[in-house]
Amino acid sequence: MLKILDFFDYAKSESLWMAHFCTGCCSLEMAAAMGPRYDWERYGYLPTPTPRQADVLMITGLVSKKILPALLRTYAQMPEPKYVVAMGACSFDGGPYNDSLSVIKNPTEILPADVFIAGCPPKPEAIIEGLEQVKQKIKNGEPSAASQGGLWKEMEF
Amino acid sequence: MESIKKLLEKFSCEYVEDYKKTWIKAKLNSKEDLLSLGEVLKTEGLRSLSTISPTDFLDADVMEVNYFFEDLDTKRNLWLKVDLPRDEESCEIESLTPLFPSAEWHEREAFSMFGVNFLHHPDLREIIKSEDFTGVYPFRKDFDWDAHEKNQVQNVQQIVDAFKKEQEENEVDLDPDSSETILNWGPTHPASGPIRLRVHCDGEEVISVDPDIGYVWRALEHLVTKKDFVGAIVAVERLCFMDNINSMTAYALAVEEIAGVEITPFAKWMRVLLGEVARVSSHFMGLGMFFNNMGLHTLAMWNMDTREFFLDFLESYSGARIATAAVEPGGVRYGLDMVMFDELQKALDKFDSSIGEVEAVFVKNPTMKMRAHNVGRLSGDEVHQFGLSGIVARASGVQTDIRIDEPYDAYSELDLEYITQERGSAQDRFMMLFAELKQSIEIIKKAKAHIEEKVASEEMNPTKDHMVKVPKKLPKGEAISRVEWARGEVLMHLVTEEKAKSPYRLKMRAPSFNHTMMLNYLLKGRTLSDIPLIFGSLYICQGDLDR
Repeated sequence: MLKILDFFDYAKSESLWMAHFCTGCCSLEMAAAMGPRYDWERYGYLPTPTPRQADVLMITGLVSKKILPALLRTYAQMPEPKYVVAMGACSFDGGPYNDSLSVIKNPTEILPADVFIAGCPPKPEAIIEGLEQVKQKIKNGEPSAASQGGLWKEMEF
Repeated sequence: MESIKKLLEKFSCEYVEDYKKTWIKAKLNSKEDLLSLGEVLKTEGLRSLSTISPTDFLDADVMEVNYFFEDLDTKRNLWLKVDLPRDEESCEIESLTPLFPSAEWHEREAFSMFGVNFLHHPDLREIIKSEDFTGVYPFRKDFDWDAHEKNQVQNVQQIVDAFKKEQEENEVDLDPDSSETILNWGPTHPASGPIRLRVHCDGEEVISVDPDIGYVWRALEHLVTKKDFVGAIVAVERLCFMDNINSMTAYALAVEEIAGVEITPFAKWMRVLLGEVARVSSHFMGLGMFFNNMGLHTLAMWNMDTREFFLDFLESYSGARIATAAVEPGGVRYGLDMVMFDELQKALDKFDSSIGEVEAVFVKNPTMKMRAHNVGRLSGDEVHQFGLSGIVARASGVQTDIRIDEPYDAYSELDLEYITQERGSAQDRFMMLFAELKQSIEIIKKAKAHIEEKVASEEMNPTKDHMVKVPKKLPKGEAISRVEWARGEVLMHLVTEEKAKSPYRLKMRAPSFNHTMMLNYLLKGRTLSDIPLIFGSLYICQGDLDR
């Protein structure tokens, strides 16, 4: 029998809205995932212009030093429960910009991600697959990674 | 060309020489002559200053500043060099901004990255680099990046502090009784992408716009110096992902010029073909963004549908939809299996079957025409002054297209014509995008037919002809290359040292930098609702804006 709490988790997971915030080039493939061929709205995803209504923050690729405070601020503005999805090689270790010293090389140490999507940039199928994993995580009732730790808690932004 | 040489005779120059067909390369002996030479050049017709590229020669203790003057009408260009002392106190030169408005941001960039002080510049603030670099010059060869990076947390804190201080001081000077305020448009605005416009407005009316850029600054020009000549294309193609092929072509042209390598006809035609496919996919996004910013998302969706087919071709050719890394010095990276052209044919068929509908519904859209007809108008004169290029320049009736002016690869064999519009409004820029989209499709068809024909007659071998060998170590030298990118003119200035394994300096001039500079000019006196429309019509990408 479905418990009432399970029902809420189910409802949450099936309408994931993401804050419409581009930090890097992977947002181009995010746009393709929104497009007619991949059409992520089939799965209940929707980009929303305001973080106040968002459930998921996507780190779309590289995070430069200058945009990091804006990213953290966007995350802080989102209501609980909230999840973070890191897209692309850059969000793991700087990717192709690993030698560039104006790019943050450990964005997910600062803001831990629930799901990594590999690729440079990841294909739209991979993005949808990653978001499906977030769904599963919510359905399982697991807490988000960023709520449990990360450097962002000690930082001022 | 001769008249420019005659002008240069009046000044003491170390050398004056011809460079390529459309360039003259000269070096001034004294920096004092720069301003008077600038005045003379302007009357001669070289009204646009394309970019300014300092090169830091640590061993020779010299900061060499390169100026690239262009005349968009007669296609005569001048590459001018001036040596400055390297130490920070005396590394200074007269600003050219009062004569050439297009120099404003380029001088600010040279100041921020190299510490070249431009005297009498109207607004010499730091640009692009983040606040933790305030007062230091990261592109100087003796800058210690590793030491700077050790304090990452403090660096981010400095950026946060600077932002908060700015927000606190923002409205201190404004009259508290008036309705004036300073708005932040971006960096999280859905239409903006990672850029922030500080919009000083009085109610609805915009008084001034001061763009704050650098949110995707990756220091690409510094990053390439850490890679070898082939590895550098990883950085170069990430100039902007929407059209990455043509930026790689520009870099490859510069390397080939220094190496003295001539590529095969097959590679030349493939570069044209791939470049136009990338241009098509970029223009599709541009058209969609224009309507997106007006509040209608349907066109973006329709375009995305057709665009996928072109990405399919890129994927079948290179294995990647977007980060193709398909062009490298010496040719194109992969051989061609002729069945890949089936994918391309599918894309062309899809385009032909759907473009009529796009034209009927959106290009002839009466609401769009009313809205965009008189917004964001640029005259041809302003295009010259501010060094604009690409569709923005051509929408104002200026005939400039590097594919025709300075043909590279196989463009000289194609019979291209300038496509222009007259009025230079936002609507005209939209029309330009649409017209160029069709032009690119024609080029793709021609290139495809040409390759198919030559392969059938066995003049080209698609599996072997794609690459010629480029030595791993290059001689000392320097080169510039220009290509017509989807957004406009990309100029790359490559400097190499003796037996170099990696670039010593690579300057990338990207068009969005100049176009963003125009925002303040175009938005003054207009209303807040015009910001997304004008921003969208200028076809700006933050990737090549910040580099």
